[in-house]
Order: sequence, then structure tokens, then C-alpha cells
Amino acid sequence: MAKYNAMTQEWLDAWKEKIATSKEYREIAKNWEGSVSMIVNPDPEKGIPEPIYLFMDFWHGDVLEIALCDKAKAESAKFVMSGDYARWKQVAKKEVDSTKALMQGKLKLKGDLTYIVRNIKTVNKVIDLLCEIEAIWPDEA
Amino acid sequence: MAYDRDLSFVYFGPTKIVFGAGTARDVDMEMAGLGCRRALVVTDPGVMKAGLVEGVLKALGDRCVGVWSDVPQDTGVGIVNRAAAFAREKGADCVVSVGGGSVIDTGKGICILLTEGGGLENFEGIQLLTRPQTPHIVIPTTAGTGSEVTCMAVILDERKGQKILIVEYFNTPRIAILDPKMTEKLPPLLTVSTGMDAMTHAVEALQSVQREPIADGLAMQAIRLLHRDLPVCAENGADLAARGQTQLAATMAGWAFGNAMVGLVHAMAHSLGAIARVPHGIANGILLPHVMAFNLDDAAEGYAMVAEALGVRERGMDEREAAEAAITAIRSFLERIGHPLRLSEVGVTDEDIAKSAALSLSDGAIVNNPRPVLDEEEVIAVYRAAF
Ligand SMILES: [Fe+2]
Repeated sequence: MAKYNAMTQEWLDAWKEKIATSKEYREIAKNWEGSVSMIVNPDPEKGIPEPIYLFMDFWHGDVLEIALCDKAKAESAKFVMSGDYARWKQVAKKEVDSTKALMQGKLKLKGDLTYIVRNIKTVNKVIDLLCEIEAIWPDEA
Repeated sequence: MAYDRDLSFVYFGPTKIVFGAGTARDVDMEMAGLGCRRALVVTDPGVMKAGLVEGVLKALGDRCVGVWSDVPQDTGVGIVNRAAAFAREKGADCVVSVGGGSVIDTGKGICILLTEGGGLENFEGIQLLTRPQTPHIVIPTTAGTGSEVTCMAVILDERKGQKILIVEYFNTPRIAILDPKMTEKLPPLLTVSTGMDAMTHAVEALQSVQREPIADGLAMQAIRLLHRDLPVCAENGADLAARGQTQLAATMAGWAFGNAMVGLVHAMAHSLGAIARVPHGIANGILLPHVMAFNLDDAAEGYAMVAEALGVRERGMDEREAAEAAITAIRSFLERIGHPLRLSEVGVTDEDIAKSAALSLSDGAIVNNPRPVLDEEEVIAVYRAAF
């Protein structure tokens, strides 16, 4: 399986492809509406000199967009999640559970938690698909 | 006790506890200790009428710059916004909440707005704040919610017709003053229902997918104290020693669930509150044994600890037998304290059940339930069993 450099557009494209071709995702996410952004706080020692902004847009089982973006676009998403690089890496490697990480202050969420809970299967599926991608992390390269 | 070998968790509980009969009068010294000089007192009409605020105001003297007593049973964003504007106008530098859950959550909301400005509707979310908020001293007048030590607030957004959740470590109350005299006049039904809220916090913390040893220890002791002293309070509200122990139990259960979280009982009780206006503690109490039966296969270990704390785990019982004994003991405890036992007794209808079941699936508490709940029918079945 191909390896991708994490936090790059190629990595996000691979993720988008995985979601777009997952029949299971399409079924689970048929009610999901709206965009999610992820903000990765800078950590120069780990190879993240500047914050990274990712924007994802999903609609009724379709994945419309997953792309690097600027701060303004990230902050315009329906749900804005932010956290340190090391935390995001733990999420992407399934070392921590994303909902637990939120409640324990390891990640931050701006938006309606009840919507996330109502659609927790969708959220978990998207993360599961991300975990399937073999990635090279900036601090491991 | 078996925990995952790779157990990893965060425990957060920074609130200072001041305990003892008459300690509400120490509020001025506690406030001075925080470096504050101008308090806004937040309360509700019932607490005012019960005469519980007078002593606090007397102790504060001119350190109290205003009293906001316009807090309803379920507080809202509009109320918090108006109260915060009032606090700002008066130049308040701290908040003293005297009341139950709704008053305390109002106080929490005001603290954020005094520090951050703006309207509370902009703060829906989890761990968004980056600095300590306005100091908050809480003097609870019930022994149940545990809100005096948690970082969470639930506040109705009147425009959206939906409750918003605000979870902020930086907004945890600095000091909780647990004065048994403040709960002395609580009538028996309110005493037992708020007590069962605390009991449910403790039991749900022990069954949670996020359970951990610190929270478990607090939950166990909370159950022991409630089991011993809640019946005493129900019988004789003026027993200040028993009142004090149940207050401490509620606070310990608050720390337990504030870290380990609650589960299906709370998800279902929140929904019944929203749809059928069933008081939170009563809904929890009625539902607790039924949800325990539903979770049994996935939570036997935690429930065996409940049995231990309730003193019903006998020698030779395996985990499952102990868990079953815990369920039976909770049922008889409810009877003993005169708590309602069935949803039909408190005015719930078939239609309420269907609506509440749908709503439960989107409640934040449900993700921490030991048995995954993904289907409305499962929730309906539990409601029916409690009907
Ligand atoms: Fe509760």
C-alpha cells in the first residue's frame, strides 16, 4: 500500500478517495449535513512550523471536499475542531478516542455536540477510514 | 479491580471545598482569599423566599454589588446574557451562586461573559477557552447536581429551542461551600430526588466507558454515604449531620461523573425532562434500576462495586451475582426512601416515551454508556420497563 506524507494534500486526497468509495460510509452518513474543519496547532520541534487548516465538507453520504485551507475558511465550518499536532496524530493512529479527547480537553470543539453524538457512527467511520491510510508523519520522516 | 493495562485518563477537580454547618457565613473571607472585592450574588425566587440568601448577603456586606434572582427552573442564554450585563454594570469581579443546578449553571455562564464579553450563544462547545474565567463561589442549596465541582453547564438557547452544552476546564468553580444548613429545609421529595440524582451520578460513573480509579473511589464513597444518610434526611430533614454527609456525597459523585461521565440513565432523563417536564432527579431515580438491568452484561464489574458500596455483595458471589444484587438493592432503596417507582406515576405518556427515545439518541451522555445504544427501539423498551 502506498504511503502518504501526513498533513499534505495527497494524504487528504487519499482519505477523500477512501470515503468516496466506501459503501458503508455512504449508508451510515446519509443524514449528515455540513462542514468540519480541523486546526492543527503549530509545533516547530515536530516539523509543524505554522498552523495547518483542513476543511472537509460532507452532504448526505457524499464527500464534497477535503482540502488544506486558510484560517478564515477553517473558522467558517459548522464544526471547528482544534488541537495540538501530537493529539491529532494520536487520533489518526487510533491511539485515543476522539470523543474522549474532546471531553478531556485534549481537543477543542466549537459547535453543537449533540449533532456529533447523534451522528457518532459517521464521525467514527470517517476516522476509521483515515486510520487505514499508511502515513509518514512530519516528526517521523 | 481490572482496568485496561494501557489505561490513560485525565482527572480534573480543582475546586476548594469548605464544609460545615454555618460555613456559608465564611463566604466573605473565602472571597477575599481569591482577591475579589465585588460579588454578584445569583439565586432564584424559591431560594430567596426560603430565606437562604439573607445570611450570605449579611456576611458579604458591601462586598455584594448586586443580586440577580431572576433564574427559572431551566436557565437560558437570554437570562445569562441579561444577568452578565447587570454584573458588568455593577462592576462585579466574582460570582457567588446560591441555589441548585439551574442557578449554578447561570453563574457559570455569567463568569464566562464577564471575562470574555459577548453573548453566551457564542460559547457553545468544548474546551474553547484559553484562560481562567471570573472566580465563582458556589453555595449549593440541594445535595444532588454536583455542579459545584464540574466544568460543565447546560443552558437553554431560547431561540433554537435547544439546550447548549458548555464544557470548560477554565470555568470550574473555584470554591464550593457545603453548609448543611442550606439544605435543612428541603422537603422530603426534593431531598430524595436530588439525592437519587447524586446516586445516579455515582453509579453511572462506575459503569462508564471512561471509568478510572480516582473517579471509582469517589463514586464508591458517595454511594456508601447516600445509602446510609439519604433515608435519614428523608425522615428528619433537620438532622444536619446526615444532611452534611449527603452534601459531601453529591460533591464526590460530581467529581466522579465530571471526569468519568454519565450514561444512558442521564440521556433518558434529560429527554424526559425536555419532553414531559419530569424533574431530573425523579427521572434518574425511576430509570436507574431499569438501565442497570439493560447494561448488566456490559457493566457487571462496575455494578459489583456498587453492590460492595451498598453492602450487598456477599461472600462467594461472582461478579454477575453481585451486579444483580446491586440492582435489587437500588430498587429496595428507592422504596425505602419513598421515591416514585414508575414513570406512569409522574405523568409520562406513551407519546412522551416515543419522543423521548428519539431525543435520547442525540444526548451527549449516551456515548459513555457501557452497552452501545444505537437503536431507538432499545431505549423505548427500557422506558416501557420503567413505565
Ligand atoms: Fe444528573
